Amino acid sequence: MPIPPRPPVPEKSRSNRIGHRYGRDARGRRGGASSLVVVNVLLRNNVAVGGKPGGQPMLFAHGFGCDQNMWRFVAPAFEDRYRVVLFDHVGAGGSDLSAYDRARHSDLVGYADDVLEICAALELEDVVFVGHSVSAMIGVLAANLEPDRFDRLVLVGPSPCYIDEGDYVGGFSRADIDELLESLESNYLGWSSAMAPTIMGNPDRPELGEELTNSFCATDPEIARQFARVTFMSDNRVDLPRVSVPALILQCSDDPIAPRSVGEYVHREIPDSRFVQLSATGHCPNLSAPEETVEAIESFL
Amino acid sequence: MTGGAGSVPGEEPQASPRDSSEDLYEDAPCGYLSTLPDGTVDRVNRTLLEWTGHSRDEVVGRAFADLLTAGGRIYHETHYAPLLRMQGSVRAIAFEIVRADGGRLPVLVNSTLQTDADGNAVAIRTTVFDATDRRAYERELLRARDREQESRERAEVLQRTMARLADENAALYERERHVARTLQTSLLAGDPPRDPRFAIASHYSPAVDTLEVGGDWHDAIRLDGDRIGLVVGDVVGRGIDAAATMGQLRSAVRALAGTRQSPSQLLEHLDTFVGQVQSAWMATLLYAEVDVGEGSLRYACAGHLPPLLIEPERARLHWEGRSTPLGAGGDDPPARTEGSVALAPGTRLLLFTDGLVERHDRLLDDGLDQLVEEVDARRAAPLERLVEELPRAMTADGVGDDDVCLMGFELALEPAVR
Repeated sequence: MPIPPRPPVPEKSRSNRIGHRYGRDARGRRGGASSLVVVNVLLRNNVAVGGKPGGQPMLFAHGFGCDQNMWRFVAPAFEDRYRVVLFDHVGAGGSDLSAYDRARHSDLVGYADDVLEICAALELEDVVFVGHSVSAMIGVLAANLEPDRFDRLVLVGPSPCYIDEGDYVGGFSRADIDELLESLESNYLGWSSAMAPTIMGNPDRPELGEELTNSFCATDPEIARQFARVTFMSDNRVDLPRVSVPALILQCSDDPIAPRSVGEYVHREIPDSRFVQLSATGHCPNLSAPEETVEAIESFL
Repeated sequence: MTGGAGSVPGEEPQASPRDSSEDLYEDAPCGYLSTLPDGTVDRVNRTLLEWTGHSRDEVVGRAFADLLTAGGRIYHETHYAPLLRMQGSVRAIAFEIVRADGGRLPVLVNSTLQTDADGNAVAIRTTVFDATDRRAYERELLRARDREQESRERAEVLQRTMARLADENAALYERERHVARTLQTSLLAGDPPRDPRFAIASHYSPAVDTLEVGGDWHDAIRLDGDRIGLVVGDVVGRGIDAAATMGQLRSAVRALAGTRQSPSQLLEHLDTFVGQVQSAWMATLLYAEVDVGEGSLRYACAGHLPPLLIEPERARLHWEGRSTPLGAGGDDPPARTEGSVALAPGTRLLLFTDGLVERHDRLLDDGLDQLVEEVDARRAAPLERLVEELPRAMTADGVGDDDVCLMGFELALEPAVR
């Protein structure tokens, strides 16, 4: 499988606080971004725009653990009709690591703000938001903040809450999540991806970058730990009934991260939603069963 | 973690010869398993079964991720599986396999994705390495890192606290010094009595090296009739306490001087006072009373340096009327003595503290000899200038080890008309 070249990491740190600086229009949406702001947002999130110019925008958001490469088998299928926008969450892939803000990114709303800033920067309207895993919830939050901006939501393997609570079964206990954090720590020692972003951004020593076997989805270990915490500790169940745009829930078979009961819960709680059970197993149908995933999205659109 | 071949439940010993493919697979020095693209295990080697204690039936047909801890399962789904799909292989992924007995086996996993001619995934081959020692080492590293970070943070907190304390101390010290200086200045500031029959000049300079005020003071008190009381004293210690004690002692001397006591009686009363004011213990004092009408001087020294009398013909230290510092006798104070001298018109009197003559590199007697010489050399100088110049002349570079306090008195040449 060929490995596409990674977009360069911006050398200079750029503030990610720009979002708070620009005003909102009459509908409460961000707008009127200056070209500098646009550039900053695009660099911050390593935004890649492709597909049909002027087409309806499809915004693909990757989940915890990887980057926009997650969509490499799915996004191309929509490029003939849609304006396809891919990006990396801050801390992942080719994003500007220096834009990571402990306070802003301490909950999913901060990530939703990032998404809305991307929409504003590119002046996206009637967005079809496709969110995998934790980004499904980030999309829900973004759509609740600016409903007018979105046309539809596609939620791939969504879970509003990973930890069991009372009658709600999320699938994990607190101890499980602690184990995950430890697992992350071990792996960063194991394949020293701690150095990956630094090395990858170092044009003087390309040989170091090549030596990294698991170079995809390299994330800054500290940010990954924070993101894991934010992802698996968050509880966004109350946000589901507030979704006012049509939503598609893609449920995998035997998904150890988001079991079927959770997908059904999301379907019950979001008023205008459709539930599709995929035969694909695991948590990443966008990789393991791209055709089935594309088909399901197509029929929803 | 190792066992002989055939120790896995339900396993028949292999009949194949040593180093056959089968043997190489089953008893390889690493765990080996194959799964379908969806992760379902369809083959596993004996080594891995022995390490984990699972039977073949417990593993084959199950998802590989099911063998992992919950945290590992999440990592498997969010990192391992996507990476494997995209790269075709992954290396050195750290997992923990849950053993049959519930224990954890730390492992490092390498996997490759097998594809058919069309690039479709058909299987995943995985080798598993026992990473128990390595993980223990890594945990130790992590702990060391955490400890190091913790102690660095503690050190930083300590450093910040120390810096703040130092700042506060400096500010406190500065404030105290300011208060002491203000107190001392206010106590020394009173204008000396003015009278055509005599002149008074005084000088006080603090020690340069400590910048802390001492307990030296001088005072001139107009008494009844033609009498003038002159005082130079030195309280033990420095700083605000010494300045405050000096103030108390000064007030006591002023109060006693007004009661027509003789200088020696005044010292005896001061002994009683010092018995009550501990901080004034061992203070030294020269009290002199000049009757400008009679032209006479009576004085008493409590452990203090003698007065220097500058007569038209000669300058001379007067060593009479000497006794111990205040309070030195304890409950049994010594009898205080006093000296007396007739003063001719134009006679000058110099009272001073040890800072003027005492230096660490010089004997006191040499200092006193030098003082007499310096005074002789300035016989023609007006009193003000003499008092101003002496401290500089005596300390060579004007920098003294101690506070310098001196007071000059001059009886007018022409007796004034009453």
